[in-house]
Amino acid sequence: MVQMGFYIDVAKCIGCKTCTIACKDKNDLEVGRNFRRVYDFEEGSFPKPSIYHLSISCNHCKDPKCVKNCPTTAIHKRAEDGVVVIDHDKCVGCKYCEWNCPYGAPQFSEELGKMTKCDTCLDLREKGEDPVCVSSCIMRAIEFGPIDELRAKYGTINEVKGMPSASITQPNIVIHM
Amino acid sequence: MHEWALLIFSICVQTAIGGMFMLWLYQRNISKSGDETTFTILKTPLIIIAVLSLIGLGASFWHLGAPSNAFNTIRNIGSSWMSREIVVTGLFIAAACITAGLAILQKKINPILLLVTAIIGFVDIYCMASIYSNSLISGWNSINTFTSFYGTALVLGAVLIASFTVPALRAKNMDDNAKTLLKLSFFTALFGIAIQLLGVALFPAAMTDVNIMAATAATSSLEPYQGTIAIRWVIEVIGIVLLGYMALSPVKKTTITVAFVALIVIGFAEGLSRYVFYVLGS
Ligand code: SF4
Ligand code: SF4
Repeated sequence: MVQMGFYIDVAKCIGCKTCTIACKDKNDLEVGRNFRRVYDFEEGSFPKPSIYHLSISCNHCKDPKCVKNCPTTAIHKRAEDGVVVIDHDKCVGCKYCEWNCPYGAPQFSEELGKMTKCDTCLDLREKGEDPVCVSSCIMRAIEFGPIDELRAKYGTINEVKGMPSASITQPNIVIHM
Repeated sequence: MHEWALLIFSICVQTAIGGMFMLWLYQRNISKSGDETTFTILKTPLIIIAVLSLIGLGASFWHLGAPSNAFNTIRNIGSSWMSREIVVTGLFIAAACITAGLAILQKKINPILLLVTAIIGFVDIYCMASIYSNSLISGWNSINTFTSFYGTALVLGAVLIASFTVPALRAKNMDDNAKTLLKLSFFTALFGIAIQLLGVALFPAAMTDVNIMAATAATSSLEPYQGTIAIRWVIEVIGIVLLGYMALSPVKKTTITVAFVALIVIGFAEGLSRYVFYVLGS
């Protein structure tokens, strides 16, 4: 199995949130439901203040607590690429995955009464395209691909200040500060 | 706070569990006066327990976004505490209804069924608490979740059975039994409060760690609710004092009204406490 993952270049990201909007548009998400979110972190004080932005969706974790705790097995890891998806024929809408994801990835749909989340734009990928967050980013700050390749290229940092400990779920992301 | 369904579910089922245990203790005292008397006295609380467990069942469905998929919830027993809890809760509700149903049919209370149902219930509370203590929500992943749930079962179970048994005992002029049983309820409730306080004492350690991005620590989520928490304890103490007065005062006749006031007061206090608990998750 090739585990897929995201590379996030915090040094390049200007916090414009185009990825969030492109994702909302592609997935038809109403106000409040965001598969990809950009968090702004402010640090330090004059004369050395700093601000950085972190774009995060689901990290298709190696040890996903959402999967472990879902009572229905609706949320599961795909055998072929390690992408974590939700089977709506099974999901009962109990929201337990929400309480078990360190990254706020599961997003409840009131309309469906079920949980929804980033599926790495499976339909676009089938056509050989990138997920829409990747192709829409004006700074080219997000990449998607086999996590081994991303790690070989960019290193293994998967946690920066402001994020929950990577040891909880072992997220498949590489971050560059 | 938008977890009203879970609040109702957890309070109802936990009260039913504690009540079932109290019924078992009560019948040990009353059974000397014969099967028929025992049945007449314990029938009402037993039915109330069954009804409470069914209300809990209804509320648990209300919580689900897609109740039609409810049967899927037991697919992940191997790793999900929620699956386990759903199975054990189902068993408890079934056992409670069977115990009540059989009692009505046979006009006789079966002590073994009471005990077995109560034991299933205590296992169920462990599963319920594990759902929360295994989550990443600040404040839930603490021993306090266990002590709070078991405490609710004992306190509310004890006062529920007391208030619905005293009238029947009075009607049968069994005032001595009433006194003994009120004492039993009072000390059980005190024990329940004691373990809740123990949990509160150990709670602060779990209040500050945040495992979810952009979430708030329990310490700050609870900030605006300090008043509610204080009121809850004041009311709870009033309720316990009422129960204690009935149990320990030298007056032989116990007043039925006081028993029901104690029930309402303690029920309200436990509801407030559970409300604050669910504030953490929203
Ligand atoms: S980011 Fe959250 S939802 Fe995605 S796999 Fe990890 S734990 Fe599950
Ligand atoms: S909301 Fe759906 S996917 Fe999430 S834990 Fe419940 S059943 Fe599983």
